[in-house]
Amino acid sequence: MAADHGALGVTYDAGSLVDALPCGIVSFDDAGRVVYTNATLRTLLGYDAGELEGKHVEQMLTVAGRIFYQTHFFPMLRLHGSVREVFLLLRTKSGADVGALANASRATRGGATVIDCVLMEVHERRKYEEELLRARRAADVANAELAAHARALEEVLAREREQALELELQTQFSQEQAAELEAQQEELQAAYDQLLARRDELESARVAADEANRAKSQFLSTMSHELRTPLNAIAGYVQLMEMEVQGPITGSQRESLDRIARSQRHLLRLVNDVLNLARIEAGRVDYRLEPVTVGTLMAAVLPMVEPQVAMAELTLVSTVDDGLAVRADREKTQQVLINLLTNAVKFTPRGGRVTVRTLTDAAAQMVLVEVSDTGIGIPAEQLAHVFEPFVQVATGPSRTAEGTGLGLAISRDLARGMGGDVRAESTLGAGSTFTLWLPPA
Amino acid sequence: MDVLRRNNVKVSGSGTQPMLFAHGFGCDQNMWRFVAPAFADDYRIVLFDYVGAGRSDIAAYDAERYASLDGYADDVLDVCGALDLRDVVFVGHSVSAMVGVLAAKRAPERFAELVLIGPSPRYLNDAPDYVGGFERSDIEGLLETMDRNYIGWANYLAPAIMANPDRPELSQELNDSFCSTDPVIARRFAEATFFADNRADLAGVTVPSLILQCSDDIIAPREVGAYVHRALERSTLRHMTATGHCPHMSAPDETIALMREYLSRRNGG
Repeated sequence: MAADHGALGVTYDAGSLVDALPCGIVSFDDAGRVVYTNATLRTLLGYDAGELEGKHVEQMLTVAGRIFYQTHFFPMLRLHGSVREVFLLLRTKSGADVGALANASRATRGGATVIDCVLMEVHERRKYEEELLRARRAADVANAELAAHARALEEVLAREREQALELELQTQFSQEQAAELEAQQEELQAAYDQLLARRDELESARVAADEANRAKSQFLSTMSHELRTPLNAIAGYVQLMEMEVQGPITGSQRESLDRIARSQRHLLRLVNDVLNLARIEAGRVDYRLEPVTVGTLMAAVLPMVEPQVAMAELTLVSTVDDGLAVRADREKTQQVLINLLTNAVKFTPRGGRVTVRTLTDAAAQMVLVEVSDTGIGIPAEQLAHVFEPFVQVATGPSRTAEGTGLGLAISRDLARGMGGDVRAESTLGAGSTFTLWLPPA
Repeated sequence: MDVLRRNNVKVSGSGTQPMLFAHGFGCDQNMWRFVAPAFADDYRIVLFDYVGAGRSDIAAYDAERYASLDGYADDVLDVCGALDLRDVVFVGHSVSAMVGVLAAKRAPERFAELVLIGPSPRYLNDAPDYVGGFERSDIEGLLETMDRNYIGWANYLAPAIMANPDRPELSQELNDSFCSTDPVIARRFAEATFFADNRADLAGVTVPSLILQCSDDIIAPREVGAYVHRALERSTLRHMTATGHCPHMSAPDETIALMREYLSRRNGG
């Protein structure tokens, strides 16, 4: 192998070059008989020079590696003439496993067929591949766990079924019980089946509902703007006529104009409420959160409801802790409190009492402002619906017609927008309590 | 259902008696290309790919059907039915030797001879009486090596394919890599093959058979060949000088010679 490059005064030797390569090299024939190994491979596998030659190439592989060699590696080599980047598990002389990437080609030299194979020990790449495999197995395990849960549930059901059956057989006295158990089990099974079916239904229903809600808010918002413009025009022209700018009017015409103006104001209030709700639901409301004391809020709110309280001949008792501070949008909080107080006044008969007090909820870390009345109360089955838009409790006195049915919906949405809530409790005939929850400052 | 397309069936040769070649696990009908042409003058050569291998219709793959070797025997019988093959010389390598046994048991009227190259009715040891050659952990190691290679090939070739859409030969290279591009199917075939126990199916086979046993075959050791010979009525056992598990690829001449010799003797030659 040595070649003399006399002119340069140095020689090179192909054999020692191959031994110096950082990868293992092995040559073998179609029958797998090893004809050559380089020093790197022998060192990697712990063999001495000449020890592997004449042996079968399978000797360098794990059992799994041998099967893979016979079923994949050799057929590929024989059919395509070469293989590239194939992972093989090598086995050292002492029995340890070494992962290697094999590149091999099959060629005819001097009338004989020889397979030359280069083996690179893999470290980094193997690590990534292991991570990939691990991830895939984790997915498999998760799947299996899901299946196991389903099976476990089925087993529980099956056991219950068995127990029910056993019970029936064992004692005639408890036949009824067994039947009951079985019925319960059947119910469970049915409920479970239904749950599974409902889960999918609910999910698509939720998506549809979200979509519909967005569309609704958009519609309401546009419509409210469209409605307000003509309403303002009506108010303007009524005013002009009342001022007799266009000529004198009679007393009965003035009365009619007054009715038109009242109707216009009611309609405008309704439209404004609808617009507010639509904006809140569309998420288009900005909150300016700042520390504000309950005292400040009540000082702004109470004068606005006192005339109504007096007119309804009610007593208003406020025992709030003025110094208690919340973190909220001042205007919007006032709007909520006015709404709660106006409602309380509206639904309390003459001579009744409206009470405002503050509490703190240590567990929830919240400040509570409670507005209670001694009104007619709200039936339990309706209490759940009072926060829905356009819902008014039907059993109230005739005054209920005044509202738009949006006040509580808006109040709760605003409170929630500030990280709080509005909740309702009521005892029919004894009164209702609406509580505004807000985070402390 | 078009079986001929589903199983990528190729018919050639100028003879009349059909010779049906069934490939083993890990490859496709290409593995017969060193042996099949030698019989083209005297036989009608029929080659096919099992569903999930080679250029078969992957869409026809049914995990339940191919969970055991019976499903693969269905493929063999489907091909026989589609071409209405009779008097068939069935040549099966490795796992296909057992697939041929299952098919011959179910429809003996179709088969004249079975040529079984490296057959094994059970690859796992069954102590104390049966030595299949492997422990369960060995097969699990094989499955892992397969997983790793499919991932490796995908990592190595996929980027090259993505970056060179004008070079379809790269995809072809992936296709040719392991004769099956679907790692899940390959894994299931490995499980169906190596976890199978078809020892009981060897009894009652009426079709005569030739067993070709290689020397130093790790996948079907000598004792296993002897076991098959004992259990299979009307079988002839021939030991080959060829080593390894794929004599039809490593020693096609010896394989052809032993098949010819057997078939001519059977035909009264």
